[in-house]
Parts: sequence; structure tokens; C-alpha cells
Amino acid sequence: MPDTSSGQRVRLLWPLLAAPGMVWMALLFVTPLYVVLAIVFGQIDPVFRSPLPAWLPWEWDFTQFNFVIDHVFGADGYFGPALVRTAVYVVVASSMCVLIAYPVAYYTARCAGRYKALILTLLIAPFWISYMMRMLAWVNLLQDDGLATRAISALTLFPSGFGQLNGQASTVVLGLVYGYVPYMILPLFAGLDRIPAATLEAARDLGASRLEAFRRVTLPLSRPAIVAGVLLTCLPMLGDYFTNDLLSGSPRTTTAGNLINNSATTAGQTGQAGAFVLIVLLVALVPMLLFVRTTRDPSAVRS
Amino acid sequence: MAAQRRLWTRRQLLVRAAVSGAAVSGVSALGGCSTRTPSSATGSTPTKLRIASPDNPVTWPIPGDNPPIEDGLAPERGATLRLYNYADYLAPAVMKAFEELYDVDISLSTFNNADEALAKVRSATIPFDVYFPSYDQIGKLVSAGLLQPLNHSYIPHISDAWPVFTDPWYDGEWRYTVPYAIYTTGIGWRADLVDVDVGGYENPYDVFWDDRYAGDLAVIDDFHTAMGMVLLRNGITDLNTADPDQLEIVRADLLDLTEQTRPKVTITMYNDLPGGQYGLTQMWSGDAVNAQYYLGGGARKEDLRFWFPEDGKGMVDNDLMVVLNSARNPVLAHLFLDYVLEAKNSIANFSWTGYQPPQRSIDPERLVGQGYVPPNLRSAVVREEYFTSGYRLLELPPEVDTAWHQVWQEFKAGA
Repeated sequence: MPDTSSGQRVRLLWPLLAAPGMVWMALLFVTPLYVVLAIVFGQIDPVFRSPLPAWLPWEWDFTQFNFVIDHVFGADGYFGPALVRTAVYVVVASSMCVLIAYPVAYYTARCAGRYKALILTLLIAPFWISYMMRMLAWVNLLQDDGLATRAISALTLFPSGFGQLNGQASTVVLGLVYGYVPYMILPLFAGLDRIPAATLEAARDLGASRLEAFRRVTLPLSRPAIVAGVLLTCLPMLGDYFTNDLLSGSPRTTTAGNLINNSATTAGQTGQAGAFVLIVLLVALVPMLLFVRTTRDPSAVRS
Repeated sequence: MAAQRRLWTRRQLLVRAAVSGAAVSGVSALGGCSTRTPSSATGSTPTKLRIASPDNPVTWPIPGDNPPIEDGLAPERGATLRLYNYADYLAPAVMKAFEELYDVDISLSTFNNADEALAKVRSATIPFDVYFPSYDQIGKLVSAGLLQPLNHSYIPHISDAWPVFTDPWYDGEWRYTVPYAIYTTGIGWRADLVDVDVGGYENPYDVFWDDRYAGDLAVIDDFHTAMGMVLLRNGITDLNTADPDQLEIVRADLLDLTEQTRPKVTITMYNDLPGGQYGLTQMWSGDAVNAQYYLGGGARKEDLRFWFPEDGKGMVDNDLMVVLNSARNPVLAHLFLDYVLEAKNSIANFSWTGYQPPQRSIDPERLVGQGYVPPNLRSAVVREEYFTSGYRLLELPPEVDTAWHQVWQEFKAGA
């Protein structure tokens, strides 16, 4: 009997320790979200065009939310293209991140040997320099008389090296890839590093070729890490606006983050900004649920 | 709606009271419209803001509960004077000299656009003393009681400024404002990057739609300034139009602009053009002058160019300094206004920001000779006569403002 009660105590200890953090996080998520809802479904001051939040749900007014929805689809749907563009940029940039990060993470986890710690440190190095600074560096390189532009012109890879910073989707996507690839490498490394070498040895012993061992053992076992990496890069990319502002700033490359930022800083459109936030949140929920499902998958916890 | 009304603060009620006075009278014919009209219970919310314009000058009332400060007060001691301004729009040396003169600290906060600034000033979370607005906010600021009327006895150096600013149309008898900087909006470019003669175009604004410069140009990220340029391109000189057909022209032209030349939309021209991010841009004259201090890599000051119509028929504006009601140091705030107006400080400030003050002692003809403005930027000098020939961006009534913003939103969404 005393055994069970002490076991009970231990079982209670950890949730209790976690509680303050959990409550704090919940408060900091739920409260702002409620404020957003109150603003989206609230009124606008007739003179100052500032939001007048409606705190009580039965006073909610759907005018602003409907305005946004009405302008996403259909003939007057001028928000639609920006949302589609966002999806394309995020999917392309994330895929490129996976393609670039996977070999790096694999090499670091499996083949780096005694240089593992050094390489890991170097991979974290970009975080020592602010994201903004790294993007501004690209601005310098890509401006009309910048180093990269001159190099590109000299190599005549493109007919003209000019105008890389105005409205080029490729520049924005490359900026996103460059900015977010470290966030992909780290979870991939952690995932690949955790795969016991014994499982691979077993696969080879049982006659799998190197490629087959990768395809049938390593890749499935690293799937949760890939999903985690994709989430870590996709979610911030969905709301990113300053990469785009710095590297393009043209309406041709406007994304969901820009729509939110533009409306939030325009008097009379704050509620619309909230509506965009809700749309992004709903879209982001889908990969989140996918992640929850993947981590529940028994094959993922076998290691 | 009824529940909403209960949430109104006293300040909002005052705004509505002041505003409904103007609504009843039609436009701005009333001299002092402090009639308090209690809002009725129905949906007849007054939505007309009293709007000043050169044709309808306004002298704002000074309400009894918001008097100017007394004469002859000593400046606050050991205080921190809080300023609220655009970034890079006030010379650090001028602030430092003021700090030393009065043995105070200055804390400068900056904003990126007028909407953001107005929202923060209204929230009064930070007790700013001095704010640098444009005249197109003055109606909102005064009717919401956010400004302190000025006590002119602290500001003798108003005499250094152009006389017109002691009785401007947007603030008769300069009850609330003193002038800060004056500027025109034209077109700037770098002769070494783009081969263009803007003045040589039959319609110089067409240059933004010229696909030879695609991807190498920018327009100002301010709905009114950019859309005003589109109106001028179409020969429409009412830059505050409420006509839906004219806004439709602007809308079509803006969407075409994205299609033709995919311009960058930003306000950092003073940095981007000399830095070589693009070669051609819509530009404020002050930014054109300021650009010489931000030259990067291979850029030379001689390569900067600026175009503004020679007949002065373009966009002309001025910014202001005001003392806010939230000021903890109203006396120092008055003294600061006076200090910045004083000729020598004003010119020191100009030589750092590039934005010309409306100073009597500045002879526009001589600014180039004195080295403040490079000869190749001669047309960026602001002349007093531009203020009669040029077009003004006025405060827009809320419903018109909404229509303008929707066009701008569609443009920026990049459909």
C-alpha cells in the first residue's frame, strides 16, 4: 500500500511542476487570441478608424470578417492570389530546406566522427547573427551594384543582373530558404542521431542494400524529425513579412504576412488583419494535427 | 450598436460633439464649433470630420478645459523631454545641444507611418511631450483634445519662419502648431544606373509605367502620396477626390503598374536609391537632398537627380511640431519648439535631415551655392511660391478615406 501512494505522489509531481508553465502558455495563447477575435468581430471608430473591440460574443459583428472572405474568392477576390502565392512560396521553400538540410544533418549525425560537435556548433552559428542582419546582407549583395549582382552579370547566368530586389519571387524564396534552413537542420540532426546504428546493421545483415536500408529504415525512422523540421520552418514562413519587405517590397510578391502587416498598420483595417490571422491559424492547424498524428504513430517510437 | 455606444469614453463623446457641429453646418463654415450635441439613440452617428483646406481655412477653438500654459513659467528641471517623430528626421546634434542648454534628457521615439503614430498618441501610454505630425491629422488631433494650445510668449522665434505659418489655413492664428519641414514630391533617379530624362517625357509620371525600368523602381509607401501621383498622371488635380470614377482610374493604373514594372513600395528612398537597390523612384525632395549622406559603394553624389515640375504644379506639403496634451514637461516642450525654429538650429537640423525648414533666412536661390544642396539636385529646393501653385494632400473624410485605402489595399495585395 505505501508503495502505491508514493508512486501516486511521483505521478503527481511532474504534472504539478509543469503546471505553472502550461498555465502561463495557455494564458498567453488564449488571451491574445480572444483579443484578436474581439477586434475582428468588433466595430470601427467612425472618426479615427481605430478598432473598437466587442468583448461579448453576442455582440459580435461579422462585417469585417466577411469583407475579407468575400475578397478571397470570386471576381473581386484580390486577396486570393496573395494567399495562393504564400502557399506556393512556403511549400517550395520548405521542400528546398528539406533537400538541403537532410544531407547535412545525415552527414553530421552519421559520418562526421570527432568533428560532430564542431560542425554542430557551426550549424548553429547563423543564430548568433540576427535574422534581420542576414537579410540586409543579401540586400547589399543583390542591389544593382552589389557583389552578387556583379558576379551574376559577369557570369551572364541571367540576361541582366539588375532588379533582383524588386518583385522577384525567386529572390524571396531563396531568402526564406537561406533564413530558415538552420531550423530544419537541427531537428533532422536530432532525429537521425537518435536512430540506433544497430537497426541499420540489422538491415544490411538481412540483405538490404545501402539504398534500401536508407529507404526502408532510416527514412521512415526520421519521418517525425522531417515533420518537426517542416513545421518549424513552415509556420514562421507563413507569417513572415520582413524577408519579403526587404528582398522585394513589391506587390507582385505580397504574401499572407504582408497582408496582415499592411492591414494591421492601416487605420480602419485592423479587424481585417485579425481575419487574416485567423485564416493563417486555421491553415496552420492542418500540419499541426498531422504532426500530432505522426508522433502518436507506434512505428515512430520504436527506437 | 447600443452596447457599443455605452463603451464610448468621454474623449470619444467630445470628438463626436465637435464633429457633429461641423456635420450640421455642412462644411467648415463655423468659427468655433464647440456645440455639444448629445448623440441620439438612433444610428445617426456623426461621421463628418471637420477638414481644413486652403479654400476652407479653419481656426480651431480653444476649449475652456484645455487652456495654454501660463506665461513666464520656469522650464521643468532634471526632466526627460519625450519626442515622437519619424526615424532619421531630427538631427542628433540639435537634440544634444538642447539637452546641454537646459540640462535635461531627450528621449526620442520613432514611428513608421502616420496611422501607427496617431494610434499611439491616442492611447497615451507614453507621455510624449512633442509630436511631429503632418497637417492632414490636425482635425483628428484637435477634435480629440490631444493637443495643447500653444502659449506664443515662449516661441518668439516663430518670426524666423515664413510669415504664412503664423496664420496657416490648417491652423488659423497658429493656435496649436508651428511648422517643421517643407517638401515636394517628385521623381528621383541615379544617372549612373538608369539612362532616363524624366523631364523630357511628355508626362513625366509615365516613367513609372515604362517597362524599360521594370524591377528597378519604387513608389512611396503612403496611400495618399502614391495615389496622388497617379491622379496627377491622369491630369486630375483634386488629390483629395471623393469621385468613385476617378478612384477607379487610379485603381486600374496601379494594378497596371504592378504588371508593367513591379515597383518596390517603401519609404526608405533616402537610403535605397544611393545604396543602389533601384535606380528610379518617386521621392520626397528632402529624401533626395538627404540621399547624398547615404551613398554606398560606387555611387557618387553627382549622379543623383530629382525632378519636380518647373511650374510648381506638383505635390507640396509641410510637417508640423505640436505639444501634446499628455506632455509632462509642457514648458520645455514650448522651449524645444522655439529652439528648433531658431534660424541657426533650424539650418543645422536641415543639414542633417535634408528636409528644408520654411526659414526666412534661407534663400532658396542660394542653397545650392552655399553647398546645402548639390547643383544636380537644384529642383529639390522648395520655393515659397510652390505653396500657392502646388497641390495639397488633405485630411480625408472617413468614408472617402476608406474608399482610398481599399484601392491601396488591393494594389498592395498584388492581385
